[in-house]
Order: sequence, then C-alpha cells, then structure tokens
Amino acid sequence: MEGRLAGVVVVIKILKMKKIIILFSILLTVLNSYSQDNTYKKRVLEGIEIDMISSLYNQKGDSAAVCGGLGTEEIQDATATIVISIPLRDDGVIKFDAGISSYTSASSSNINPFSKKNIATPFNASSGASKEDEWTSYSLTYLHYSNDRNKIVNTKISVADEYDYSSFGFGLGYTSLFNRKNTEVSINSNIYFDEWKLLYPIELRTNKSNDKDDDDDFDINMYTVIGAAYSPEKYFTPLTDRKRNSYSLSFGLSQILSKNLHTSFNLDVVKQKGLLSTPFHRIYFKDVVNSFIEEFQLANDIERLPITRYKTSVGNRMSLYINEYFILKSFYRYYADDWGISSNTISIEAPVKLSSKFTIYPAYRFYNQTASIYFDSYDKHLSTELYYTSDNDLSAYAANQYSLGLSYTDVFSDINIWRIGLKTIDIKYAHYSRNSTFTANILTFGIKLVVE
Amino acid sequence: MKLKYLILFLTVATLTSCVVVKEYEMVNLNDSDMILGEKSIERNITTFHSYREAAVGANGGKTGGGCGCN
Repeated sequence: MEGRLAGVVVVIKILKMKKIIILFSILLTVLNSYSQDNTYKKRVLEGIEIDMISSLYNQKGDSAAVCGGLGTEEIQDATATIVISIPLRDDGVIKFDAGISSYTSASSSNINPFSKKNIATPFNASSGASKEDEWTSYSLTYLHYSNDRNKIVNTKISVADEYDYSSFGFGLGYTSLFNRKNTEVSINSNIYFDEWKLLYPIELRTNKSNDKDDDDDFDINMYTVIGAAYSPEKYFTPLTDRKRNSYSLSFGLSQILSKNLHTSFNLDVVKQKGLLSTPFHRIYFKDVVNSFIEEFQLANDIERLPITRYKTSVGNRMSLYINEYFILKSFYRYYADDWGISSNTISIEAPVKLSSKFTIYPAYRFYNQTASIYFDSYDKHLSTELYYTSDNDLSAYAANQYSLGLSYTDVFSDINIWRIGLKTIDIKYAHYSRNSTFTANILTFGIKLVVE
Repeated sequence: MKLKYLILFLTVATLTSCVVVKEYEMVNLNDSDMILGEKSIERNITTFHSYREAAVGANGGKTGGGCGCN
C-alpha cells in the first residue's frame, strides 16, 4: 500500500514538475523573445537631431487689405526656427520646435497712417507702431512606434503669439503600415484655439485703449477732413467675438507602385468658427461719399465675413526615381470652401544629383483660385451687403512660382566638431508672382546636425 | 462628375495593379529626395503660401492656427 502511495506521489510530483517545466519554458521563451527585441531592435532615432531653418521674405503689391484693397502691401520678414528631435528609449521620439519671426509691414503700419511725420497715403508706410511686430511659436510633438515599426501614434501641442493674435493647438494622429510596408494609411486631427486682440483702423476707435498704436495721439478734430463729413457710426459697430477655432481632420494613403515609383493621396477637411475676418481691414462703400484726411481715405467699416468656414482639399504626390542622377516629383491639389473659392495647385520638382553629396532642385509651381463670393475690389461694396472684404488674398488670381535649391548631404556625417556631425545643408530661393502687381521672394537656409 | 469617376477609376486601377516591393528592393524609394512630402527647407515657403493663398491642406502643412493677416 505504502509503495503504491509513494508511486502516486512520485507521479504527481513528476506531473507538477512537468507543469512547472512547461510554464518555465513558456516564460523563458517570452522573456527571451522580449530580450531579443530589446537587444536587436533598431532605435527609431539613433541620436539627437537638430534642424535649423532661417528665411528672408519680402513681398510687394498695391492692393493692401488694410487700406480697403488699395495701397502698399510691402512686407519684409526674417524667420528663424529650430527643431530638436530627441530619441526617447527605443520606440519614441520627442520633437521640440521653436520659431521666431520678425517683420515690418507697410500695410499694417497704415492701421494708423497719421504719423504726423509724413503726409498720410495708402501708398507709403506710416511710422505707426504697427509697422513691425514679432511672432513666436513653440510646439512639442511625441511619436511612439510599435515594435515592428508598423504603427505610429503621434500627439502634439503648440502655442503661437504675436501682438494682436495668440493661438493654442493640439493634435493627435495614427499611422499604420502594412502590405510589407508597401501601404501606409494615416489619420490626423488638429484643433486650434485662437484669439484676437481687436485692433481697429485708427479712425474707427472710439475708446482710448492705450495700445501700442499711439491712438492717444490721434484726434480727428486736429485734422481737416476733405469730402463728406465723417460719420462712421452709421456703418461701423465694434466686434463682439474675438475667438477663432479651427478643427481639422486629415486622411492619408501612401502606396508603393514599383521599385522606382510611389504615390500618396491626402484628404483634409477643416471647419473654422468664430472671428474669421481681420478687424483692421478697411472697407469703402461705393454708395457712401468718401472722406479723406490728407491723401488717406477714412474707413466706412471693417471687413465682415461669416462666422463659419468649411474647407476641403484633396492632393496627390508622386515620386519617380528615373536613375541615379534624376528624380521627378509632382504634386496636385484641388481645394474648395463654402465661401465660393476653389483652387488648383500643381508643382513639379526635378532633383538632379550632381554628385553623391550635392543635389540641385529646380521646381515650378502653378496656383490659381476663384474669388470668394464676399470679395470685391476697392470701393465697390455696397453698404447694404451683409458680408464684404477687399482682401485680394480672397480674390481670383493665378500665380507662378519658380524656385531653385541646392543641397549638400553627408550620410555619414564626416564633418563633425566634438560630438556634433553635419548631416545636410540646404539653400533654396523662390520667386512668386501673381497676374497682378503682387510679387514675393523668399530665400531659405537650413542646416541639419546630429549629436552622436 | 465624369472627371470624378475618371479620377476614382485611375486611383483604384493604380493601387490594385501594383506589385509588392520587398524591403531590400526599396533602395531607390528610400532615397532622401524621393520623400512623399515636403523637405524641412520648404517649411517657411509653405507657411507663406498658406497665409497668402486661400487653399490650405492636403500637403502636410498646417491647416489652422495663426492669422497671417499682415
């Protein structure tokens, strides 16, 4: 009997041992595979990367929205941005993005054209404080990759600020790669909460707000009004809303078509709500007799636009690798909104590799748009209309842009100081002109460094 | 309407006719100039376009935030 019992106990022990061995084996397998992941998994980003981009921009034109569709549009802008990408363990990347833009704007200066130093005219810049400003922005983005690198989640927060405008935004996105990484689908959403500081044209200000436009110095009674007696209160009422919210949803699909060709399709849907007009854009009515101080026409009202706007755009990109020297890239976008604007954008770029490190990028871009149903040019609107703007950015026009870029790429970062290696240097110039008097030039310079 | 159907047809035809390219065959596609998007150097140019032109989106650029009113 005892012998039988002993035998049963041994069998039970063996069975228990077997279970334990099986469980342990499973655990080891799991841990082993996990440790293998940790040991051999390539980091999403090997080291810290620093992108520095700066640009100089200028524009000229004679249809300033600040002066109701007439006058100088001259702007000079200098922008500097830095993007620092930091690996966070093996699977994450955190990006810090900071930018500052300093500009002088002739049209903005004419928010207060009565500087007493020169004769007021929409065709010259005033010395008013609004002639210059600074814009700053900061954003923080986190990207998290799955172990097989086929799924990416991203989240972002951003803030931007200038004297009369501030913006706070956040976004969330998801990307999935499948079909052996031949197909990629993505969805991204962004929300921006913006707020205006309501700056009206100087002649429409009734209260002294002590803002930087020196409105305390302006007293209409100190000037001789030419033409009709000036009485803006008939048409102008101050705005009540100063907020502008934007909600966007973006869908993307990328597909590899062959060893040398891939394409992507994008669909963006945007809803904007709130104050969508600009408080200091003047409007002159055709059915109201004009009033002037010196050579500057006094505003009848400010731009008025609906409080909602829906925008939709679809785009396609193609990149074709022709041979080791030539690549061909194309972009097409169709855009439409419920303010009556539809547009087409076409661009073609042909990178030419001069050597293993130098590439030049000649490119051409064409853009056209129809006019908003709320747009009319200088002094054409009627006071009986509900909405009106004389901002030529909302008019019908076509634009051409020619650009040329030069890039130096050092894949192995041979040039380095301390632990900082040079990866790329880019320089690009673009000339943009509309089928009007509006022209713009932009020169950008970028440098990418890696910290080993 | 016909144009929409043509675009839809071409899209579906393009996507369904493609072959699966293996990772080791993606050398040319992974060339830094083949990227399906804008390079970082394009950033300020895209920003200027989004301020001066009505159309935004479908290009990877921002679709809201900021007034671009100067």
